[in-house]
Amino acid sequence: MADKKIKIIIAKPGLDGHDRGAKVVARALVEAGMEVVYLGLRQTPESIVNAALEEDADVVGLSILSGAHMTHFKRVKELMDKNGLGDRLLTGGGIIPTKDQDKLKELGVGKVFGPGDDLQAIVDYIRTWRGSGGA
Amino acid sequence: MRTGASIGRSLGPKLWDDFFKGSRLACARLITLVENFPESVPEIRDKLIPRQKGAIRVGITGPPGVGKSTVTAALARRAVKAGHTVGIIAVDPTSPFTGGAFLGDRVRMQSLIGDPHIFIRSMASRDGHGGLSPSTPYVADVFDAFGMDRIFIETVGVGQAELDVLTCADLIVLVLQPATGDIIQALKAGIIEAADLLLINKSDLSGTESLLESFRFLFEISARPKAIAAPPVLTASALHNKGLDEVYKEVEQLIHGHVESGRIREKKRLRLEGEMKSSVLQDLWGRFSALTNAPEEMRTAAEDLLKNGRSPYPFIRNLCARITMEIRDERTNRKDHG
Ligand SMILES: Nc1nc2c(ncn2[C@@H]2O[C@H](COP(=O)(O)OP(=O)(O)OP(=O)(O)O)[C@@H](O)[C@H]2O)c(=O)[nH]1
Ligand SMILES: [Mg+2]
Repeated sequence: MADKKIKIIIAKPGLDGHDRGAKVVARALVEAGMEVVYLGLRQTPESIVNAALEEDADVVGLSILSGAHMTHFKRVKELMDKNGLGDRLLTGGGIIPTKDQDKLKELGVGKVFGPGDDLQAIVDYIRTWRGSGGA
Repeated sequence: MRTGASIGRSLGPKLWDDFFKGSRLACARLITLVENFPESVPEIRDKLIPRQKGAIRVGITGPPGVGKSTVTAALARRAVKAGHTVGIIAVDPTSPFTGGAFLGDRVRMQSLIGDPHIFIRSMASRDGHGGLSPSTPYVADVFDAFGMDRIFIETVGVGQAELDVLTCADLIVLVLQPATGDIIQALKAGIIEAADLLLINKSDLSGTESLLESFRFLFEISARPKAIAAPPVLTASALHNKGLDEVYKEVEQLIHGHVESGRIREKKRLRLEGEMKSSVLQDLWGRFSALTNAPEEMRTAAEDLLKNGRSPYPFIRNLCARITMEIRDERTNRKDHG
């Protein structure tokens, strides 16, 4: 069977800020041939997971700059598991200290990227995840 | 792991069971299958179609940025309030350069999220050239069998070629906005003739009145047969939630009228006939190509015709005659062996 295109949700949970970063990443993923469902600002974990479910997305990417990453990632991951999306990749970006990154990993969240990371690294990471057998 | 193969395997009794029990995840997965694996479509539709209840498919089309998504959300909300269950298919363009797609229609549909009576699915247009993806009608089939009775299909905003929607929708709403200068664009598209309802959105912007005036003039001079009434033209401001009750009411009235008059049934029948015809042609061509080397011959013939400045009709006639012969031979063979 032909390989399916990667479908990815990009969302910005919480009430903070702008979505410039999220848009830049979304664009890079589109340029890499992926299908990006863009949700934009002010998303709740419920609205994100609802979209992931309806879209049957392979990957959910969160952009969080507010510092509330632990709460958001944890809640989204819980809801994904609860809704039968436990085999999908939850990843994202923001300013996230190393110790938090480790904790997120324990929760089952994939790699999270920082502002200094190369866009190509994100593309490669998602492709590798998909190619190597998933989460 | 979610590779093509594992998705293929997931088309088992469990998925169907879940789907008919109303699992939204199963519905989403089935859509993924029809969207990505054309070879699985016949098997899936065999099961879906007997369960369909004839949902009304409303196409929402029009140039980029006129407010199709905002209007779709507004209509969906009203449909749910009136007791309907709604499926939304929102198509955005695939980049011809990268094959990727930025699917942004959900941004305008925020207020619907979480409503258990609404299911939104974004789609990239992929190989479709007329504003939809080739698998869009099948996604509507999934929604119909899932129990939705109103399906809104938002096309890509491509200006002049959203005609795919004709082959997929029971009712067509053409959304336009003022200040686009004139109606020449819409005229070129040819879609005005096909629209059941014209909606001038963004009526908060200036120019609405003059666009309305152009339409009145257009329908006065139009050579439509008298039996086909000019479509209603309404104005609304989806952003400010103005005029949409009227639009919704008109849509439902049109649906009702077209159901009563048999027009929707006629459209569904024509679509089915069209589908059969193209499937049969495709199948025949596939078999003929496999039996002969017709594609190769065509290539040679085309080069030859170009070089010598000749008309292609003799070649076409010859090829058609051979197709007829192949069919006859096959029939005789079958009689001999069976
Ligand atoms: N002024 C005004 N703006 C509106 C109105 N309705 C929608 N918009 C705005 O128009 C822009 C495009 O709206 P969409 O609903 O995304 O338009 P669309 O036709 O779906 O766009 P595409 O899918 O990209 O072709 C958004 O910024 C909306 O907020 C309206 O009634 N008045
Ligand atoms: Mg839109």
